[in-house]
Amino acid sequence: MGSSPNIERLYDEHAPALFGFLLNLLRNEADTYDVMQELFVKLGRRPALLEGVRDERGFVLRLAHNAAIDLIRRRETRERNYQELAREPMALFAWSADPDEQIFREKLAEALGELPADQRAVVHLKLWGKLTFEAIAETLEIPLNTAASRYRYGLDKLRERLRPLYDEIK
Amino acid sequence: MNADFEKQLQGQPLRELPREWRDEILAEANGARPSGVRSPGAVMAHSWLVGRDSVEPKLDLPGKSHGSTESRPTLSATADGLPVQAVSTWPSLRAWAGLAAVWVVIFALHLTAPDEPRLARSSSSATMMSFTRMNEQTLMMAQLLGQPDQADAGEAPAALPAPPKPRSEIARKQLVG
Repeated sequence: MGSSPNIERLYDEHAPALFGFLLNLLRNEADTYDVMQELFVKLGRRPALLEGVRDERGFVLRLAHNAAIDLIRRRETRERNYQELAREPMALFAWSADPDEQIFREKLAEALGELPADQRAVVHLKLWGKLTFEAIAETLEIPLNTAASRYRYGLDKLRERLRPLYDEIK
Repeated sequence: MNADFEKQLQGQPLRELPREWRDEILAEANGARPSGVRSPGAVMAHSWLVGRDSVEPKLDLPGKSHGSTESRPTLSATADGLPVQAVSTWPSLRAWAGLAAVWVVIFALHLTAPDEPRLARSSSSATMMSFTRMNEQTLMMAQLLGQPDQADAGEAPAALPAPPKPRSEIARKQLVG
């Protein structure tokens, strides 16, 4: 990692992953935008933050996770219940021309919204972030076993919720 | 079953990052846009929902230490060092100056107003007058009731009137007198 990381390179490499992760956590596009903007502004103004960082993706995911959790906590106390907001339908996945696929994606987004935020974060990083449990544990600052158990519980809930649709599609 | 289900989930592509965000976010990150000018969503989120000390995420990754002496500006710090939230909610200089001017005028009026001491004096003299009247009435009552010792002591204004006696006794005295 150079001493002055190119903010555009950082954006191009990590923004898509951050977007999906934050959108799944916050369940709100405006909030996702705000957290991403804050994060890249910080990285742009303080490039030294990334000096000596081995896993750049893990580092920015961790920044994003902490900022998102901070935002969720503040809004829970001030404005609205994020658990309720998470259950509202939202476009988390790409649109599919296949109606069955599209319905499955919508139901999957709903089911993810019903998971607690900590399980949702682990499930997202494992399935769509393609991180190992070690990397997830380090990113979310949780023990390895906790990361694994959260993933298992989360996946079980998703399976239970989506079983009829999944069987149909399969 | 588990592996199949996981693969099925992994196969669902996430929504794409909106392209227009790139220019906006990078412009902000590169400082092209003045720090105080923010998107409406950002202004709303950070001026009302996010505290002054908030959005800065924890950065204490393992193997990456941050010196305690290093200043850590918040993510929303403006060029002059004030957080955006503080700038957006800070009243303008004119408002403060106007408020100060109003207070100066009120204070000046308070100092120049002559009525208050007069009022205080008149209220104290009114108290004295009512006290004197009460004494006179007491003396008159004593004279009417035929109590010479109290009538003689009329010059002593501090003496309190004796507690009223039963009506029967007063009536008997009047009959005898």
